[in-house]
This record gives sequence, structure tokens and C-alpha cells, in this order.
Amino acid sequence: MCRIAVALFTLGATVVGPRAEAQGAAAGTARVRALAARAESLEAKIAKQDSLAKLRRYEDLRARRFSAGDVTVLVPGVVGEATGQRIADGARRYLDSLGAVPPSFVASLVTVAYASAGWDSVLRADGLAARTRIMAEIPAQPDSLADGWIVAARIVRAYVERLDPAWRSWVPQDLSLGFMKGRDDAAAVRELAAGDTRAGTECLGGRAAACRAWLGVDRDANPYTARYTPAEIRSIVSRRMVEYLDVSAQQCVRGSDDACLRYAQTGGVSPVPAGLASVRSVLRAIRVLHGAEALRHALADTSGAVGERLARAAGIGEDSLVTEWRAWLLTGGGRPRVSASARDAMPVLLFGGLLLLAAARSGRWR
Amino acid sequence: MFKQVLKAQWLAARLPVVLLALLGFALPLLTVTSGSGLANAPVERVGQWLFAAQQVGVLIPGLALLAGLLLGIGAWAPDHAGKHVYALALPVPRSMFVLLRFAAGVTLLAIPVAALGVGALVATLSVSLPDGVHAYPLQLTARFAMAALVCFAIFFAISIATKRAAVATLGVICGVFLADAILASLSIKDAASVTSTVFNLLTNWPGPLSILMGRWALFDV
Repeated sequence: MCRIAVALFTLGATVVGPRAEAQGAAAGTARVRALAARAESLEAKIAKQDSLAKLRRYEDLRARRFSAGDVTVLVPGVVGEATGQRIADGARRYLDSLGAVPPSFVASLVTVAYASAGWDSVLRADGLAARTRIMAEIPAQPDSLADGWIVAARIVRAYVERLDPAWRSWVPQDLSLGFMKGRDDAAAVRELAAGDTRAGTECLGGRAAACRAWLGVDRDANPYTARYTPAEIRSIVSRRMVEYLDVSAQQCVRGSDDACLRYAQTGGVSPVPAGLASVRSVLRAIRVLHGAEALRHALADTSGAVGERLARAAGIGEDSLVTEWRAWLLTGGGRPRVSASARDAMPVLLFGGLLLLAAARSGRWR
Repeated sequence: MFKQVLKAQWLAARLPVVLLALLGFALPLLTVTSGSGLANAPVERVGQWLFAAQQVGVLIPGLALLAGLLLGIGAWAPDHAGKHVYALALPVPRSMFVLLRFAAGVTLLAIPVAALGVGALVATLSVSLPDGVHAYPLQLTARFAMAALVCFAIFFAISIATKRAAVATLGVICGVFLADAILASLSIKDAASVTSTVFNLLTNWPGPLSILMGRWALFDV
């Protein structure tokens, strides 16, 4: 009996066992297949979504053109219609206000934001391929720096790069765009009043020749000897970390006048004693007092020293020019001084006479 | 005749005239209260001093306005009070009487102008200026005289104007503000403000009030 039971068990195990195993394996394979299929489907879905996202991103970055006057700018589409136009309008306003860059030069350029994609096809499609392309770092975020300043500054820099060496060595990279943005007339006055050099102090005192030297507008054979004394160069050098400077700087600080000049001449000290704010203020004064055309003429002029070019464009002498600039700067852009000329008296007398006539012809007891 | 009119006008306006003369004398002296020995002063101190001088200078056109107002209205005050009986009783045409009143008013106006001139001269003599800074007492006095004359003429004419003229003037002023309000309500892009345009026309040369603008500093670069 016991043997029969053992035999039946053995038979059962031999016959039923493999079938059950086979059934389990088949089910597992189907599940794996299903899972694999699901994974593949998800992968495909993700890839599709990725490509859609990429496409959307590309669409976001696809360049869009905005124009205002002579300014043309390509910005990523994500910047939006209103912001893009504001950038172009702002750049035009800055350039108009600066007045230094000829409109024809602005019209020959197209400013492209680095972040924008497909700008070449936009340029071709819009017939702008012949224009010179300049790249600018315009943030893609709407409203961020969207006043056109960056575009205007980039255009100005492109113009400065085309100026002749005398101008390039004198004007700041932004011409006087920074003067408008930062209102740094106070900085220019501080530079003048700092008394770093005798030229600056005498210029503040009203000596035109000192102003010319301080602004560095004359073509001096040796600007360092004409505009600085060795002691002034020493004073400038000694404010720096002398131990990191070359031998001539260290000798200069120790008292060698020759070393001071040598160090200055190798580029250690600016040949123009005035700072950037002051140079910007000169350009701004020309723009305000003599108009944009005068400033453009001056920058287009390539003969003579910077001061001669500025004076020629303004139609006055060099000394008059620096005197005018000094008064303009120190009076905060106002009239040079209190005036009581015939020009001032004329409207007063005319208006007074008219009122007297009116009073005589009509009155309460008539 | 002028003497009588002048005397009558002086009696009516002597208090404001004396007050204006005192103010005129004192204002330029205010400029030098922050220091006088500037010949060898540090640049920063000179800059601060010039700034203070300019701040004081701003008060001078205000004084011109006050002088014009007080003397312009004061020129007709006795006539208004007496219902113009005195003027009508005089054996002169009206235009001549207006001219006499105007001339008398201008003569009285010369007193605060002269006082300001003396004050400016005293202030100039009391200070030692550094190179590059100059005093302009004559120009300041002349400009003050012109500004005071304009203000006097305006208030003189307003004071004697008919009701119709007053209404017309008021109407023009209201019209300017109304035009601005209409433009603002229409939201017209780049529409110029009528008020500011009119203001600019009046205060920029050759506008009659341009004399009140600009710089008024006794000491300047």
C-alpha cells in the first residue's frame, strides 16, 4: 500500500510537475514581453515628447526681427512681441540721444542676440543678408534689460572699432552712452576736483591750456612729460600694489623720475590724465551744446589732434571749446553764468510794452 | 504830475518797498555766510560753497516775483479802494494816467533793485575768490531788474484789467488744462502735453518768462 502511494506520488511528480513549470514559464515570458513592450512604448513616448520639447525650445529661440528707425535687432521668439519691440525702440532712442553714430552706419548693421536660433534664415528671408551682423548678449528673459541699452552699446562699440587710431585711443568704448545711462556728470566733476594732477587743478581753476592737457586732446610728442610731472606719476603708481609691478614702477616709487616716465611710457599710466567720465562728458557737452551733427562730424574727422577735430566740428577755437565744456560740466549743464544781455532784455521790454499798451487801452473805469 | 503820482504811490506802497529792499540787500549776503576766505581753500570746499551760492541764487527770481506782485497790485490798490474817483478827477487822459502809474511803479521797483545791487557788491568785496571762480554783481542786478520788471508789468496789467479780460485769461488757462485732460482721456500715444508746451514757450527764450529761468548765482565759474 505504501509502495503504491510512493509510486503514485512519483508518477504525479513526473507527469504534473513539468507541466506546471511550463505553464509558469510561459506566463512569465508573456509578462516580460508586456513589460518590454510597455517600456518600449514609454521610451518612444519620451523620445517623442523630447523631440516636441526640443522643437518647442527651438521655436522659443527662433529669431524674430524687430525694427525701430535704422535699428534692426533679432531676438529669440520667447522674448515676445512687446519686449522685442521695446528693445528696438529703446536702442533707437539711446542712439538718437547719443547722436554720435551716423544713421547710415546703424542702418548697415543687424544686431543678433546670441541666444536666437535660425537667424541666418530670417536674415535671408527678410533680405538683410547683406548687412553686417553683430552679436550681442541679450538675455532671453522678457523684461530683463529690455530697454535697448545693450543693443545700443553694441552698435556704438562696433562704430568705435571703425574709428581711426587717434579716436580709438581717446574715446571710451561706449562713447558717452554711459554718461546718459549713469548720469555720471558728478563723477566727472569729482575727477576734475580730485586734484591728482596739476593740469586738473588748474583746469578747475579755469585755465584753458590746463584743461587741454588734462583732457589729453592735444597731439603732444611726449604726452607724459607734457601732461604729468614725475611726482604725479609716482603718486599714481604708489597707490597700486607696487610689489606686483615691474622694476621701473618700483624704482619710480623709490624716487627715480626717469623710471616713472619709463613706466608710464610702457603703458602703466594712461596718457590722458582725465578719467573716462570726464572724456564722456566732453562728448556729451558737444552733443548738447552743438548738436548731434557736430559730434558726428568730429568723429568722422581724421586730421589733426582730437581737440582740433572737436573744435573744428563745433566751429569754435580749442580753448573756447574746453572753456565751454568746463562751464557746462561745473554748472550741471546749465547756462555758464548769470547773464543780462540785450538778448535777455529784448523779450522783457517787448512783453512789458505790450502789457502796458493793453493796460492803457482797456481798464475798469473805461 | 509824475511827482504827485509817485508820492501817492510811495505813501501807499512804502512798507512793501522797504521790506523788499531789505530782502534784496540781505539775499546776496546770504551767499557769503558759509565762508569768505576761499582763495586757498581746498577744491571740495570751493565746490560746496559754489553749490550753496547757487542755492541762494534760486531765491532771487522769487524775490523778483514778489516785488512785481506787491508793487504791480499795489500800484492800483488806492484807485480800487477809492473807486477811481481820484484818477477820474485828474485833467489827464486815461492812457497818460496809466503811463504815470507804470512809471511810478517802476521807479519804486528801482529801490529793491538798487538794494540788491548794493548787497551783491558788498558780498563780492567781502570774499576772496579762488582762480576760476568769478563774481557777477552787475549781471545779477541787471537780471533781477529785468525779472522784476516783467513780473511788475504782468501784475500791473492784471490788476487794472476788465472783468472780460480777466475771464478771457482764466479761460485760456483752463482751456490749456482741459486740452491736456482730453488728450489724456483719449490715450493718444506720443501726444505732447499742452501745459508743458505752453510752459516751455513761456519760459524758454524768447518767452517773456525766460528771464526768471537760468542761473542766478552771484558767484560762478
